[in-house]
Amino acid sequence: MNILVCIKQVPDDSVEVHLNAEGKPDLKNITPVVNAFDTYALEMAARLKESSEGEITVVCMGDASAKNSLKNCLAVGADYAFLINDAAFEDSDTRGITHVLKNAAKKIEADTDKKFDLIFCGKEATDAALGQVGPMLAEELGVGVITNLIDIQLDTDKVTAKQETEEGYRTVESKIPCVVTVSKPEYDPRYPTIKNKMAARKKPIGNITMSDMTNIKAEKVGKENTLVNAIKLYEPPKKEAGVKIQEETDEDSALKAVAMMAEAKVF
Amino acid sequence: MADCKDIMVYVETAEGNPVKVALEMLSPAKELADAKGGKVIAVVIGNNIHDAAQKIAQAGADQVLMIDAPEYEKYNMDVYADVLANLMKEISPEVLFIGGTQDGKDLAPILSSKFEAGCASDVMNIKIDDTGKIVFTCPLYGGTILEDIEITSFPKIAVLRSGAFPKLEDSTTGEIIEKQVSISNDCIHANIVETVKEIAESVNLEEAEVIVSGGRGMGNKDDFKMVEDLSNLLGGVVGATRPAIEEGWISKIHQVGQSGKIVAPKLYIACGISGATQHISGIMNSDYIVAINKDEDAPIFEVANVGIVGDVKKVLPIMIEEIKKIKEAQ
Amino acid sequence: MAYLISEEAKDLLQDVHEFCENEVKEQCKAYDVSGEWPKEIYDKAIEMQLHSLEVPEEYGGPGLSRVDVAALIEEMAIADAGFATTISASGLGTKPVLIAGNEEQKKHVCQKIIDGGFGAFCLTEPGAGSDASAGTTTAVKDGDEYVLNGRKCFITNGGIASFYCITAMTDKSKGVKGISMFLVDAGTPGLSTGNEENKMGIRTSNTCDVVLEDCRIPAANLVGQEGKGFSIAMKTLDQARAWMGCVATGIAQRGINEGIAYAKERIQFGKPVIRNQAMQFKVADMAIKTETARQMVAHALTKMDLGLPHSKEAAIAKCYASDIAMEVASEAIQMFGGYGYSREYPVEKLLRDAKIFQIFEGSNEVQRIVIANNTIGR
Repeated sequence: MNILVCIKQVPDDSVEVHLNAEGKPDLKNITPVVNAFDTYALEMAARLKESSEGEITVVCMGDASAKNSLKNCLAVGADYAFLINDAAFEDSDTRGITHVLKNAAKKIEADTDKKFDLIFCGKEATDAALGQVGPMLAEELGVGVITNLIDIQLDTDKVTAKQETEEGYRTVESKIPCVVTVSKPEYDPRYPTIKNKMAARKKPIGNITMSDMTNIKAEKVGKENTLVNAIKLYEPPKKEAGVKIQEETDEDSALKAVAMMAEAKVF
Repeated sequence: MADCKDIMVYVETAEGNPVKVALEMLSPAKELADAKGGKVIAVVIGNNIHDAAQKIAQAGADQVLMIDAPEYEKYNMDVYADVLANLMKEISPEVLFIGGTQDGKDLAPILSSKFEAGCASDVMNIKIDDTGKIVFTCPLYGGTILEDIEITSFPKIAVLRSGAFPKLEDSTTGEIIEKQVSISNDCIHANIVETVKEIAESVNLEEAEVIVSGGRGMGNKDDFKMVEDLSNLLGGVVGATRPAIEEGWISKIHQVGQSGKIVAPKLYIACGISGATQHISGIMNSDYIVAINKDEDAPIFEVANVGIVGDVKKVLPIMIEEIKKIKEAQ
Repeated sequence: MAYLISEEAKDLLQDVHEFCENEVKEQCKAYDVSGEWPKEIYDKAIEMQLHSLEVPEEYGGPGLSRVDVAALIEEMAIADAGFATTISASGLGTKPVLIAGNEEQKKHVCQKIIDGGFGAFCLTEPGAGSDASAGTTTAVKDGDEYVLNGRKCFITNGGIASFYCITAMTDKSKGVKGISMFLVDAGTPGLSTGNEENKMGIRTSNTCDVVLEDCRIPAANLVGQEGKGFSIAMKTLDQARAWMGCVATGIAQRGINEGIAYAKERIQFGKPVIRNQAMQFKVADMAIKTETARQMVAHALTKMDLGLPHSKEAAIAKCYASDIAMEVASEAIQMFGGYGYSREYPVEKLLRDAKIFQIFEGSNEVQRIVIANNTIGR
């Protein structure tokens, strides 16, 4: 089983992002982390690899700061890692990102002379939460896609996946190769062991740039070639904070609150 | 082709009825079509779906294309995407609206790729600016920042957030056109072999007038029952935060927030909820928010009309008793 | 500030920090109340190999320098001192073998740890605390075996260890020169654990009696030679003390972290109390003490790594770090005011956790004797 996992670095989503004085998202003091759903994808892929056999390659589009994230992936189940980095890719939209990912996958396949059987993505990134790249990548590659996975099983020529739904789940089968996008499974991603982390630090991280990809179309990538453009960013209007009640006892607080609610006729 | 001004709306059905967001999408669709001088063309796919088509026709669509055949009885993403792609080629709409359901969120990027169409996700608002440009408003970073975007491609695809647009009030009845669409079998990559409903209850957070939600601060499953008691008393719906759901106190269908349901009740009571961004951005449109939390610095208090700093497990029983008294007196 | 560590240790420190934040810090609050040994937390730590940091590289350990390891142990101590104590006491239990054991014994104990076990060091007895010569546990040679009898007390990891390094008299007439060191695996008939202490602090670590009743072990389990047990134990403690200084420093650092966080949030007279110079000076004094302790720990460990004498430095590190851990914890409570005295808040626990570090692995009075002897000369 040859598995590709696509990861993205996002600002730590436990920190609130606001606009700075220039009207841009203020990410200065927020640690970049691997998108949570991508870590679930890698964990699911690692478990799949361990239950059968195979290798996992991780790719990340981003600048050199993403190397650390890729190293972390190498410590928790990935065998190879590539950074896809070129100034020409900056600010690409999902069409551009998908186009780059497809061509990077093709390049790795050509270099290793091995096709990817499964491509894992997180179901969405925690920053923009578009959830577009997985299905778009499948469409570009002309293969199937199963989204929102919480479990996966492998047969000889197909995968059987548990797709999370609002009321439960669906069992979905797809021919291999295919793309899967991962939601939160029942388990958590593993922590890197001390020794795996130390070994991962010594592993090389490949670099893929525009010129490494023979079939890439420059007119699809980068800021100049987006189909979706931001016009402006702003913060939603703040709701005004009302009164805070903190009486001597919880009972007094509760009674005062109910009185206020009654006055406001909310029930 | 580029002067086609029609707005195509994909109507998802559940158990023979259009889903809620499908009806909601007709109002911005109508607005756009009127401004552009085009038509609202709704598409319904399924088997024996005449009733659904009828409802859509009466809800504001100028035309309803009904793709009604036994092979569409069960949803298949590849098949439905292929049908929609065929129709898009034929109609050549300027914009395709898809409802922000789980399946809608899958279909949109597939079609976006097929047509090299720019795609807006989780659209909360749509307007036309002075130059006639369609502007879509989407959330970023869990909703703390909003982004107005334009799509430069033709066609454009927009996935509309459920509950963000009001249904059309009064409308004329459109025509239903039954259509045959032939799909190629080799488009099918994946199949749904089983659908399991683990949650029998129906929970309608989006239309609830009163929601009582519990978070991690409720402490345990037994005490979480107090949230349900208060909700029952007020005739509301029970909500929950992700931590409460992960603890197993209540099923995930009750999740409120960016990754659950975006709600807008008249009264929202947050019990033992500190107010993570993802949660707060999902309740911002509530008319009246009451919050109970022992941490006086909890962010939930920044949006609450009434904030009670105290032990939720002591406050709730008293609130329940007191509200009971008031209700009995009424 | 902090330890000067390798790039790879900095990377590991981030992982350990994340682990402790997610899996240890909050979880240990409940175990501090119940006194239960939190097996599930230790299982996760073992899976991440946090328990085997001190195992030498040739026996399957990670091969980090002692100062690198200290940075990681301190991070664990910041989250919960009991948690770090369990892991560090396992290192203590391994040291007699690493110092004086043969190749086979070294492989044996290291493998036990790699496989997820902990070690325990058994010296103290009800009547023999600082005075090891008063011990009454005996080992009598019987053919190819030794037969051990006696009772050890206050044994960290006593109830959960996979192996024990136990001192016993092989020749009572020779006093401390008649003490020998033995390696005993858990599960050996005759070895049992007794009374579990209900402790004031480090409640997430296990402390109990280890009882030996005609416990027969192969003669090959003698560590070093007969009569060398006391010397091995002293060398063991000479090393282990620096680690206790490391854990105590972690407690102090937690006190600083909590104190600052609270003083920034707490508003009195219309401003955060941290703006008061009285608070700022308090923080400065806490930092002076903690940083000094940390660098003394690092110095002792560096000397150990270099193979230089380190008795005095380790004793200073342990003694000073534990004394200032008490002071800093107390000051952290002061910064919290009335809330600091409440069990709802995290700082009173630090004082309870810190106290034992002035007592165990050689009381601070004994440390002063060691320091004095090494300073004055005999």
